[in-house]
Amino acid sequence: MTHKMWRLGTVLALTASSLLAVAVPGSALPPGAPKVGMVCTPGTVNGSTHTFNLETKTGYIETPDGNSVFMWSYDDPTVDAGHFQSPGPVLCATQGQTITVNLTNHLTEATSLVFPGQQGITASGGAADGLLAREAAAASGTVSYTFTAASPGTYLYESGSDVAKQVEMGLYGALIIRPSAANTAYGDVATQFDPSREYLMLLADMDPFLHHAVETGTTYDFNSRDNRYFTINGRSFPDTIQDNGSGLLPNQPYGALVRIRPTNSTASTLPALIRMVNAGVDNHPFHPHGNHTTQIAQDGRQLTSPGGAPAFTEHFGETIGAGATEDFLLRWDDTDHWDPGTNPLPVPPPNYRDVTFKDANTWYSGSPYLGYKGTLPAGTTTQNICGEWYFPWHSHALNEFTNFDEGFGGMGTLLRVDPPGGCFTTAFSTAIVGGVLKSGSVSALAVGGTDTNYYQVNPRTTTRPTATTAAQPSITVASAAGFPTSGNYYIRIDNEVMQVTAGQGTTTWAVSRGLLGTSAATHAAGATITALANDWYGSFSGVKAGSTNLKVIYQGKNCGNTTGAACTAISTNLPQQTVKICNWTVPGAAGCNTAASPGWVTLPAPPSQPQDVGSTDVSSTWTPTGLASQYIGTGTYNGQVKVLIHTQRWTAPSPTAFSTWGNLLALTYDAP
Amino acid sequence: MRALAARSMRKSRALLIVAVTAAAFTLANSSASAAPVTITLCAKPATATLTGAVSVPIWGFGLGSCATATASLPGPQLVVNEGDTVTVNITNALPAGHTLTFEIPGVTFNASATDVAAGSTGTVSFTASAPGTYLYQAGGGEGRQAAMGLGGALIVNSLTGGQAYDTQATVVLGAVDPNFNAAPDTFDMYSYRATYWLINGKAYPDTAGITATAGQRVLLRYVNAGFDNTSMALLGLHEHVVARDAHLLNNPFDANAETIPAGATEDAIATMPAGAAPSTHGFPLYNRQLHVTNGDQTAPNPVPATGGGMLTFIHP
Repeated sequence: MTHKMWRLGTVLALTASSLLAVAVPGSALPPGAPKVGMVCTPGTVNGSTHTFNLETKTGYIETPDGNSVFMWSYDDPTVDAGHFQSPGPVLCATQGQTITVNLTNHLTEATSLVFPGQQGITASGGAADGLLAREAAAASGTVSYTFTAASPGTYLYESGSDVAKQVEMGLYGALIIRPSAANTAYGDVATQFDPSREYLMLLADMDPFLHHAVETGTTYDFNSRDNRYFTINGRSFPDTIQDNGSGLLPNQPYGALVRIRPTNSTASTLPALIRMVNAGVDNHPFHPHGNHTTQIAQDGRQLTSPGGAPAFTEHFGETIGAGATEDFLLRWDDTDHWDPGTNPLPVPPPNYRDVTFKDANTWYSGSPYLGYKGTLPAGTTTQNICGEWYFPWHSHALNEFTNFDEGFGGMGTLLRVDPPGGCFTTAFSTAIVGGVLKSGSVSALAVGGTDTNYYQVNPRTTTRPTATTAAQPSITVASAAGFPTSGNYYIRIDNEVMQVTAGQGTTTWAVSRGLLGTSAATHAAGATITALANDWYGSFSGVKAGSTNLKVIYQGKNCGNTTGAACTAISTNLPQQTVKICNWTVPGAAGCNTAASPGWVTLPAPPSQPQDVGSTDVSSTWTPTGLASQYIGTGTYNGQVKVLIHTQRWTAPSPTAFSTWGNLLALTYDAP
Repeated sequence: MRALAARSMRKSRALLIVAVTAAAFTLANSSASAAPVTITLCAKPATATLTGAVSVPIWGFGLGSCATATASLPGPQLVVNEGDTVTVNITNALPAGHTLTFEIPGVTFNASATDVAAGSTGTVSFTASAPGTYLYQAGGGEGRQAAMGLGGALIVNSLTGGQAYDTQATVVLGAVDPNFNAAPDTFDMYSYRATYWLINGKAYPDTAGITATAGQRVLLRYVNAGFDNTSMALLGLHEHVVARDAHLLNNPFDANAETIPAGATEDAIATMPAGAAPSTHGFPLYNRQLHVTNGDQTAPNPVPATGGGMLTFIHP
């Protein structure tokens, strides 16, 4: 891995992220658009013809310095009722399709579309032949362009009329042609990428004085063009790192945050694809921090040696010319195996005195370590969700890394590297609801996975103060603490197993005698009563609302002894383990504070449950059913997740006591 | 006798250079061979007429003695063959005090070029050892001489037959700020602001078209004699970029918006498609930094323009 130790990259963190749902009216996005990554406007497919409808309109965009800029742009009238958006919709088609673009012009002057890199474009309708292409007349004129999506790649579409003004005013967008070969940029396996990590960076620049002149009908000298706003996907930093469809930027639907997890060359993980388009008039030297990017194509053509092999090049700075497109693959191989505990990044955290802590706008993550969040002063709100690491990507023409000459801003965004496997968090507290702690603490369930530290839970015991007869249907015990308060459960006195059928939670239980291969028998006063199950749960906190892809990991074993430090092996009659998660939305869940709470739902297969777990550590990962939001607490339980481990061992003929040794209890998830 | 015959042939070839303009022409070099070539240039003031009948004073190179030479913007295209031993005599007829240094980036002169004072003549000689597209220009004057127009294209033709193109065109890129040209000695370069953007010294619609028919392979020899890294967009086809700064690329690539750095040259081959061109004028080749206007732009709500500046078309 080539990484830049630019500490600012770790100190920088997200501003308050918009959590508004995507694709609601007013977002200018098609339904189902992802929050991060390239958003395609679907268009209409009929046979092999892919039709897109575009209309030119005027509107405003907002800049981070509080300005608003008058723009001309394209929108799709069939998406979000033709909500104004800048830049124009991302048109995605498949190689071999016939693309038709129908343009309706709502400007006060004629306009047209050109498609650089496409051949054999035919125009129909339209008012007249313009200088570069057939034009649609002013005030609702129309024209259609048709061409074959002959070659996969990243392309620009833009105005072909009065280009010095119209393109500068914002009449541009990206055209993506995908090859028929799945998950490749150019059909060649060397251009394979992870389809969930496909990013578009459409660069542009603006001189607000031109926009003001066009809006107000005043003079502007093109020869004095002086660009002051620089955008990626129509936004300037830090707006670029907001989600797609952020309600804060209703006319600028496309975010530019690049989000990856560490790739791993030995695990065949695929790189991200970064499609870059320069729709501006300046050549932009773009500088990615974090790792080199691998250029695979220019202007929609793969870079290939004369012999046919890939002729890719590595860059930590690449100038993208006006009107050009370039595609890059991005890997972030964690070849150094950074680990917050055993192999921390050699980056000293800044002294607290050197960073500002106040309210919810803290711009320090709490730790520079990937996958680990350090300690912050009490009451401090961090914007770093789970120890992810941020690198700035920006134009290295540093006047472009500004908003009207104020930095940082402009043509910049962040590369966010999430910890391996996503956000990872371990239980911060435990509660035993059916059993008793033998040894260990919650920290034994944290980090590391396979280690030698265990959180050990024994079955609960109590005593019978008086003697028991063989026919007795009810028994009184010294204490019910630690025994289940509801549900039928098994207990053992001497060698007899009986089932508690009533009186749970009190000290007088109705029992069904002589079960599981044993016979009803007499027992002396003071006999020990042992439960044949352990129930305990771990609590997690700080899981952000809006997190997705939640997974539960539990690793542990069961031992045949309840005393001593060494695990007594169990090879037969294995204890049966059931792992449950609290669904906070179930009526009566009430915080899932007892083993009997209706909120506990069994995690669905795979692996199926109950699962036999003996004296060898078993690690399992479950994915809860449905939306992750059901399992993330709100209100009093804000950000909490609870996971319950129930283990029992009463199967005939050896319903003997055991202890549960937990090794790891953790969650992974994608933070918003 | 053989030597004499060779010499006369040389002279006729020197005259041929005069006939070659920046327009496209077809190569027929199979019988060419390396030979001594002498080129005589004069650097002198002249007047260029830009679009809109705007007359602008320039300093330019002209072929021949200063008595007869006509300086042009850009200077005349010089064409030699690979292996030629070339002697360039430069007479400096610029206003007094303007010493000129002749330079061809990428070409090593036999002896270091010496400054040529106004009113005197200097000589450089070199062997055209590598074929390709070069820029020749006047060094010195803190760039003012080049900005006044003292630059042009040098083509070194390969002696190898069977080149991968059928026709060729030289595309010399440059720009003019008439206010600078009016006062080249005193103008504050901080205020330099080009208002005319030129291909081979002309702005659209005065630019010469590039002629090529469907299926023909056009070698576009870009020479950036200007001050700006210039991105040239090509609509309706890709060009295959084969060389930069007169060196073949190990990995040629395809482009349709290629940036030619200031002072650099680039060779690209565009194969003309059979289908219709995007425009009724042909396949547009234009400055994608959108320097496609001519002169001052002072109209309100900038009125729709009909195109100008660094724009031309490739057409049959």
